[in-house]
Amino acid sequence: MLDLLVIGAGLTGLFAAYTAARAGLRVRVIAHGAGATHWHAGTIDLLGNLPDGEKTVTNWTQAVPELPPAHPYRLLGIDAIAKAMDEFQSLTAVAGLPYVRAGAATDLTASSPQDERTSQRSDSDEQVSDPNLGRNLQLISPVGAPRPVYLAPAAQQAASLEDDRPLVIVGLQGMPDFYPELIAENLQKLGHRARSASLPLSRLTKRLDRSPLHLARLLDQPAEQALLAQMIVDVTAAGERVGLPAVLGLNAHTALVTQLHEATTARSRPSPQSSHSQQAGTSIFEIPTLPPSVPGLRLDAALRTQLTGLGVRVEIGMKACGFHATGRRIQWLETETGSRPLRHTARNFLLATGGILGGGIYADRCGRVRETVFDLPLTAPQSRTQWLRPLFLDRRGHPIFQAGVSVDQRFRPLDQAGAPVYDNLWAAGSTLAHTDPIRERSREGIAIATGYAVAKGVVTSQ
Amino acid sequence: MQNATVNSVGLSLNACIKCNICTSYCPVSAVTDSFPGPKYAAPQSERFRDFGHPYYADAAGPISRPLAGGQMPDASVDYCSGCRVCNEVCPTGVRIAEINARARARIVAARGLSLRNRLLGRNELLGRIGSIAPGLANFVLHNPIGRRLAAALFGVAEKAPLPRWHHETLNRWLARTRAQRLRSDRKVVYFHGCATQYYEPYVGMAAILVLEHLGYEAIVPPQNCCGLPMLSNGEFTAAESHHRRNVARLAQYVDAGHPIIGTSTSCTLTLKEEAPELLDLESDPGTHALKLATWDIFEWLRERLDQDQLPSDLRPLDQSGQPFILPYHAPCQLRAHRIGKPALDLLAQIPGLDLRESHARCCGIAGTYGYKTEKYQIAMDVGAELFDYVASQTSKSEPDSEGSVSFTACDSETCRWQLEHGTGLPSRHPIELLAAAYGLYDLQARRPADGS
Amino acid sequence: MKRMQTEILVIGGGATGTGVAWDAALRGFRTLLVEKRDLTHGTTGRYHGLLHSGARYVLKDAASAAQCISENRILRRTHTHCIEDTSGFFVVTPEDEDDYPDRFAAACRRLDVPCTEIPASSALRREPLLNPRISRVFELPDAAADSFLATHATAQAARQAGATLLPYHELTRLHLSGGDGNRTISGATVLDTVSGEELHIDADLVINAAGAWSGQVAALAGVEVKMILGKGVMLATNARLTNTVINRCKMPGDGDILVPIHTVSVIGTTDEKVAGPEDLPIEQWEIDLMLTEGDELVPGLSRSRILRAWAGVRPLYQETQPPAESNQSKEGSHSNDQPVQEMPQDSRDATRALALLNHRQRDGVRGFITITGGKWTTFRLMAESAVDAACEQLGVSRPCRTAATAVPGVDQGHYWLGHRLSEVEDEQLQSELVCECELVTRSMLESAAQRNPTVTLDDLRRDVRLGMGPCQGGFCTYRAVGILHQLRTAKTSPVVGEWNVAHMQSPAHHHRDSSTAEASDSASNSASAYDSLQRSAAVDPQAAVSQPNLLLRDFLQERWKGVAPILWGQQLRQERLDELIYLSILNADHLPVDDKESPLSSFYRSDFSPSGSNQ
Repeated sequence: MLDLLVIGAGLTGLFAAYTAARAGLRVRVIAHGAGATHWHAGTIDLLGNLPDGEKTVTNWTQAVPELPPAHPYRLLGIDAIAKAMDEFQSLTAVAGLPYVRAGAATDLTASSPQDERTSQRSDSDEQVSDPNLGRNLQLISPVGAPRPVYLAPAAQQAASLEDDRPLVIVGLQGMPDFYPELIAENLQKLGHRARSASLPLSRLTKRLDRSPLHLARLLDQPAEQALLAQMIVDVTAAGERVGLPAVLGLNAHTALVTQLHEATTARSRPSPQSSHSQQAGTSIFEIPTLPPSVPGLRLDAALRTQLTGLGVRVEIGMKACGFHATGRRIQWLETETGSRPLRHTARNFLLATGGILGGGIYADRCGRVRETVFDLPLTAPQSRTQWLRPLFLDRRGHPIFQAGVSVDQRFRPLDQAGAPVYDNLWAAGSTLAHTDPIRERSREGIAIATGYAVAKGVVTSQ
Repeated sequence: MQNATVNSVGLSLNACIKCNICTSYCPVSAVTDSFPGPKYAAPQSERFRDFGHPYYADAAGPISRPLAGGQMPDASVDYCSGCRVCNEVCPTGVRIAEINARARARIVAARGLSLRNRLLGRNELLGRIGSIAPGLANFVLHNPIGRRLAAALFGVAEKAPLPRWHHETLNRWLARTRAQRLRSDRKVVYFHGCATQYYEPYVGMAAILVLEHLGYEAIVPPQNCCGLPMLSNGEFTAAESHHRRNVARLAQYVDAGHPIIGTSTSCTLTLKEEAPELLDLESDPGTHALKLATWDIFEWLRERLDQDQLPSDLRPLDQSGQPFILPYHAPCQLRAHRIGKPALDLLAQIPGLDLRESHARCCGIAGTYGYKTEKYQIAMDVGAELFDYVASQTSKSEPDSEGSVSFTACDSETCRWQLEHGTGLPSRHPIELLAAAYGLYDLQARRPADGS
Repeated sequence: MKRMQTEILVIGGGATGTGVAWDAALRGFRTLLVEKRDLTHGTTGRYHGLLHSGARYVLKDAASAAQCISENRILRRTHTHCIEDTSGFFVVTPEDEDDYPDRFAAACRRLDVPCTEIPASSALRREPLLNPRISRVFELPDAAADSFLATHATAQAARQAGATLLPYHELTRLHLSGGDGNRTISGATVLDTVSGEELHIDADLVINAAGAWSGQVAALAGVEVKMILGKGVMLATNARLTNTVINRCKMPGDGDILVPIHTVSVIGTTDEKVAGPEDLPIEQWEIDLMLTEGDELVPGLSRSRILRAWAGVRPLYQETQPPAESNQSKEGSHSNDQPVQEMPQDSRDATRALALLNHRQRDGVRGFITITGGKWTTFRLMAESAVDAACEQLGVSRPCRTAATAVPGVDQGHYWLGHRLSEVEDEQLQSELVCECELVTRSMLESAAQRNPTVTLDDLRRDVRLGMGPCQGGFCTYRAVGILHQLRTAKTSPVVGEWNVAHMQSPAHHHRDSSTAEASDSASNSASAYDSLQRSAAVDPQAAVSQPNLLLRDFLQERWKGVAPILWGQQLRQERLDELIYLSILNADHLPVDDKESPLSSFYRSDFSPSGSNQ
């Protein structure tokens, strides 16, 4: 029998499954569709805005105590969040898709995945004295606004707005999802040295398809990689950081970024060492694009590869349609098939189905808000008139998007009386109440930290 | 909704949030511009297909309404292979593949059906004709001149992996071995499908031997093509008459409570879901009863495993003690059942078997898709992901000689043919492997171990 | 201050005003039209898109019905490509009164509205989603009309006839001289809302075609025109539910029309009397009423996905002055069975017939005419009446030519739903799509942006249906802003020549724009000095295009305004994905926005009062 059935294949579910499987549990992941990782920028946003919307967070360790008491981060505490982040970083290092924090120097060419891992480990041991602990990076959004990010894939690190090297944003002509001039102009408005350039996409591909994903697949090919490197060198100058749409390969991503970095730095024998050369890192970075996100797909693939290695199956296309509980224990979950419902029996169940976007929560015309798998009690605005605010971009967010499952300290869903509904049901990620992860820029942070906490909790309870 | 013509396929259009996940997984649009992708073809284009609007169907079937001015606005949906990967990954439940199948049916209704597609839809008829003189039929269709002729006349791709007629159909084998067949109170019905009947009767033999080994009598009643080839080529009316005939022929067994078990994942999926949904037969009682009675053989065997009813006399497949490395591909049509990958659970019971699960999306063939001249190369390009995976397992295993890859496994027949075509390795149905592990079946020669 | 001189000045760039400009220019008048926002920004751009057969009013408002059927026949010739020939059903549901259908059919015959009763079963075969309990069905020549395209086509025809049209020019003052009882209007001062400059216009005659804003315009002339403003709420479904216009066969009421317009079905409408033409809240009960009533036509409609809600204001008018002083048009006043004394309490009861107010006779103000009331279907007739009256005041006799003159593009025939998809397929334009939901290509957007004085993305939405599909701008807002920004930074010179609106909605327009269209442009005498003015905004550094962050913010807010009242279920989920894009990925709420507002920013903010406001 399974020790843990994870429902939902987003970052929450996959990271929880990874953590539990590494601890020796028998785990399976089922999900209605491919997870939400595909929609996001591939960065780990931990906390960018406080719920009042006014303050931008520069260091989340200082901001977390200001969150409301029921917020998932307050349930976890700073140390637990930091520990989960370290574990996630280790995973990404092992997977060959390293994620880095502010101030961390990365050299894509230097270390093998194993080396990365050990270096990360020693990092976390010294975290008490680490001045960069909790510090957000400010990366560049595809419209040229700053994105508050805690952990960035190595290929996005050089977008940091703290770095004062001049920026050149390079687009691909005819690509509908990237506008380098707009990005550069807004960066200038924010006081950065930035310009834009364009490459003729027609030289790279004869295909009509110009989606980021197609371009990323194309750039897994050596010939196209070499061509792109040459084209970039032609339009950029020495000392510039080069921002490109996030299409730099899927499988050959790290190699391609390395190649582009070398191509752009090799032509210039660096003049006298500038003061920031220490943190300079790569000279190439990616800017995320609209869904589907190539960095998100890479992260998803990396997680799934790790899970396959641990013998964890991820089965997609499974829509929950019922469950059976005796007393306070869930016995099995049922999913739809082409015929009779399929029964999934397990000792523990993790609800990681997401919020309204992920499909874990459904809000109907009559103002009812439902949890879609176990019909759990929810914390949600009382009536539809309280769901929304008049301005779309209101920084306080729309109350309906805070609807979710209230949990205890161990992340077990609670009933109205404040007691766990089931002893072996856990909830994590965007399905949790008391947070609007998109508005707070905390989606990935909550996913990883709460997923990790649940996995550890299940391991302990075994 | 009271209105019977509103069905789940049409309504699912409303669920699309344009998130592009389907497009990012689509194996076809990844390799060709001919198919602009599932989001474009289904939820987007459907809003522009006036004549036969999203929910359209009428008493005479879903496609009978004349298109105004004969205009169907789009044609590229014909390049959807129908592999259903989009349905699998869609987080909101849009029935993309079914919307596309309906659109193709409307194109057929508007523009007519090519002779080639009509032929490819008649798998059963071809099987029957060829089986009259299998040697001659194989000669005609498996020599270069025959293939070139078929390509020129019908547009059947010259290199596509056509099956060979077997010298003996499954029915003839059953008749010949009648005396050896198990009689038991515990009965199941075996639905063999056209491919097993005419081309690969040994898959049926393996299935029957395993069922008997478990103590079940396998009833093989008269049956006909499930209609899927017609559905995927847009011939809905013909598909419906085929389906209704099967419903009638199997009704007595369904009523008696016998499970209907198949080894062809596409046939069982058609009985379970494709025919009821696409043909608007969800409310037909016979169709519904058959839907609930149908099982993929490994889905059924997994229940036996879970209930500790599986005989434990499984032996290693390679007697030399070497690990037997087996790349396994769960075909799209199996994944569309949404029953997980039961063959993996069963094959995991075979000692010494080193199962390697492919995560490739599709082998490319998608039923009859890869047989069409204009789509052959697309199918091969789609399959490259899988072929490369198999090749990587082969090369990995050679240097340290911990084992060898001599077979691949896959539940669906056309996918096996495509796998063999793309990798050069023989491919087996998992039931053949299980039968062999029980000592009932010769995996190499593809015949019962007792020589029957 | 810039000065301009014209014979006829038209106030209002909706269907009526544009029609007046077309009619007047065709009769050889020097004509200038000013509109405070973009063409079709008012009621014309907010109606359900029904080309009436007149049948809806045969029993209640015979004058309007007669005008509708006659204009229906004309517009099918003059604006063919702006119309989808859907046909219309009037269906009798179990809730509808027994004798209405027979009286209805008789009235149709009387008024020469072609009406055929067809078996309910055959109607259900054609429209299988219709309520299966309908007992009787009448088929009539209702149709769907693209009011955006029709107005642009009329505007182009007007320009080709020599008229000058100035959108984003707001009337601030009417030039009034003379004393009581003998006053004369000699022109107007208008404000260029993009540049902030004032423009002095001398005109022989001013025609007030401001629709729901007519009362406000008349007030500037010191004349009282009491409009009855009827707010109508409409909802669009995710996809078409029917391909035929569906009406309940009963006295017109709320939520009893279902119009297939392009990719959606529009259910409408309510009719609530409101005080002013702007600031139209959409109430929860109105949404619920539309959905409940919609279920009577198509059971399950209320559970279908709703994309958007919006409200338009009918500019209804019923003369309340003593009849001796009134001079309603001949067409308007032959409703002799309806005494015109009292202001109706309910706007549903107000006549839909057009009203022509000749202020010389009515109020003693020369050089000023108001044309109001009416339906979109009768806009051409309204224009004809107004310009007839203008001829009379100006003392000339020039016959109306619009009924016999086709606007550019009619050679394409009626549009059909599949036309965009068909063109995208034929020309393989899939990768050119900016708005994937409505199949808007990059070149459609560029063409519209370069040749139309675009100030906001919402103007482009009206031109090419940008952002009108299921994701409501989720993907295309960003792309459109990027493309417009590129157009500006590329410093390309504005495209020379007339914007060929005939193919405005055509994804393959650049393959289809024939050189003959250009030739006919140059042949026309449109060498007006103000042509450059008409095209300047697209490259004007003052224009909002130069502020992409405002364009982005304002269009997002504009879309939000229409979705907020209907956010539940799948559309709420969609909105969350849009939030993901604009907040999580773009961080658009932290964009550097200059303090300046775009000309429409304040409008979006004030025009919004969502049902879900918790402020």
